[in-house]
Amino acid sequence: MAKAYNWQINREVNYPYEHERPEKQFAVVMDLNKCIACQTCTVACKTTWTPGRGQEYQLWNNVETKPNGFYPLGWDVKLMELLGEDQRWKGDRYEGKTVLDGTDTEPVLGWMPDDLDWTNPNIGEDEVNEPVDIGTVLEKFPHPIWMFYLPRICNHCTYPACVAACPRQAIYKRKEDGIVLIDPERCEGYQECVKACPYKKSMFNYVARISQKCIGCFPRVENGLQPQCVITCIGKIRLMGFLSRPGEEKRDNPIDFLVRIKKVALPLYPQTGLEPNVYYIPPINVPLSFLKQMFGPGAEHAVKTYMAMREGKEPELQALLHLFGSTDRIVHHFSAGTNEVIGYDENMNEIVRVPLYEPFQIRPHKDERLGVVRQDIP
Amino acid sequence: MNGLVVGLITFLAGLALSFGLELVSVKVKGPIPTDPFSKVWKKAKAVKVPLAGQTVTKPMEVNLPISEITVKSVNNGKEIAFLLIWEDKTQDRFHLINKFSDAVAVQIPYEPSADVPVTMGAKGKRVLILHWTAFRQENIDNGYSDVAKIHPNYAYDWYPHAKPPYRYPEDWNNQYALAYIGGEKVYRKNTLKTPIREVVAEGYGSSTWKDVQGADGRGVYRNGKWYVVIKRDFVEENTSNPEWGPGRDTFVTFAVWDGSSGNRGARKVLSYQWIKLRIER
Ligand code: SF4
Ligand code: SF4
Repeated sequence: MAKAYNWQINREVNYPYEHERPEKQFAVVMDLNKCIACQTCTVACKTTWTPGRGQEYQLWNNVETKPNGFYPLGWDVKLMELLGEDQRWKGDRYEGKTVLDGTDTEPVLGWMPDDLDWTNPNIGEDEVNEPVDIGTVLEKFPHPIWMFYLPRICNHCTYPACVAACPRQAIYKRKEDGIVLIDPERCEGYQECVKACPYKKSMFNYVARISQKCIGCFPRVENGLQPQCVITCIGKIRLMGFLSRPGEEKRDNPIDFLVRIKKVALPLYPQTGLEPNVYYIPPINVPLSFLKQMFGPGAEHAVKTYMAMREGKEPELQALLHLFGSTDRIVHHFSAGTNEVIGYDENMNEIVRVPLYEPFQIRPHKDERLGVVRQDIP
Repeated sequence: MNGLVVGLITFLAGLALSFGLELVSVKVKGPIPTDPFSKVWKKAKAVKVPLAGQTVTKPMEVNLPISEITVKSVNNGKEIAFLLIWEDKTQDRFHLINKFSDAVAVQIPYEPSADVPVTMGAKGKRVLILHWTAFRQENIDNGYSDVAKIHPNYAYDWYPHAKPPYRYPEDWNNQYALAYIGGEKVYRKNTLKTPIREVVAEGYGSSTWKDVQGADGRGVYRNGKWYVVIKRDFVEENTSNPEWGPGRDTFVTFAVWDGSSGNRGARKVLSYQWIKLRIER
């Protein structure tokens, strides 16, 4: 059993393989304050990768409502049960159990969803945390009554549980970009990865008899393009890019900036120990206790930073968010000016330039020439 | 108790139980039928082989869903066949989401030596595994376990790669459809005409399908027991073969999977000691 350093929980985890971090890591940042659960991402993924036989229930990208939605049913409640009540953090160091600890007879702490658990992907949609009383007013953050949408894809984890659990070593993590793939020719459909993945992002195709999962749109990524779910996002909540190795982060790399420098985007359930690589900007309407359980102790800082941005105190961050959903190319570098933000490819060629403000005109309420009052319409 | 200790105890118990067993492959005349109830099996002597949970590598099977298998063998000079009988109260004929199939396997070392690790061989010490699975038998007996068969009331509008009435596997034999399942090889595995697959292995987790799939057989479930015949030519053309044949003895071991106990892959019960296979000429 090799020891592997996990920066998200600031300690080593048990990983069964000798491991070298990929040169760069596929990563997606999603701003949960902006997702509207339109499911455009889900459909984009579905029509691209899983319209086939035996894939009817497979949503490599899904969007669920928190706290009452799950796909598959109860996935994160089960995860919390597996990790137990002792999920201790000491500062930024997590001291509880991770799923990679496994047991004497199992490589990973896991559980197996049944087929019916996958059949209600929209369960709990739009449900709030508790019934609303007459007279409830939502005036301050966080809100006493809340919910939010959580879009999910495979996290292309640095220490994937699916890889750790596969007895046939049919799953591998690519050196060049950290994308995690199942080799369909090696897979025999044992579903050990389905059982092991705490995020339940590996799924079994019972017609083809192999497990399948999000492939990070690798044919697009190899061509410098962001994945389907990212570029089709209506809310422009997503940005895909590459996270540098710890200690090698660059301020002008948008993902490094959001995740490591501003620390405004956080991993989902870092307690798993897998170092998941989808990073979420936490929703500011949600109480911190919930956010901390879901995104770790960094949630407080992230919410504060985001609030400060709303007050105009984080201009660079605010500018960078304008690059979300503004190009289908992968942005490796960015620079933020006062009027616009510019995205560059890996060779510093400009690929997109986005104004921070739309040009606007102020028309006086009263038109003096015609002597009429204007209605509030364009 | 840690996993290693559990493993060691079951492993040693397994060794002790099957020590000194010998299976004789009786010489018969004419082709060997795949029917497990054929009278050809009257001629062969049964050997009862005790089984133990797989506790050498994770994931393990720490329970003992099946504790014994009865085996017989015959050969006709060209082909060798095994009859495998075990008790299993639940018949599991499907491989679905969180549902696993019953199965049985015969393992033979390439080199007829008991030094080949019984745990699926080792680097340079190859083994041949003949693996019967109930779900393949089901596909052959009752048609492929497709969406329409498993969920007859499932609603779907269309599949981009097939025309109604949507039949797997026929509809999938096109470039577009194959892309969804990772290519030709997966398709070939699913369209195997026999319920037995042949794999070679050089250690746990290394089993790989052979290019030539010549083994044949049949499994029948009757009165709470599986009766399975697995047969193969001693020597198959255009592929590698173990060193065995009439008068050339070797070794065998067996593994059984109980689907409803969640058995698949490494989660299985097996005989931990090579059993001498005497092949009559
Ligand atoms: S999210 Fe699950 S399927 Fe994806 S890499 Fe991590 S462990 Fe594997
Ligand atoms: S497309 Fe974007 S806004 Fe719509 S559900 Fe997906 S992540 Fe949310």
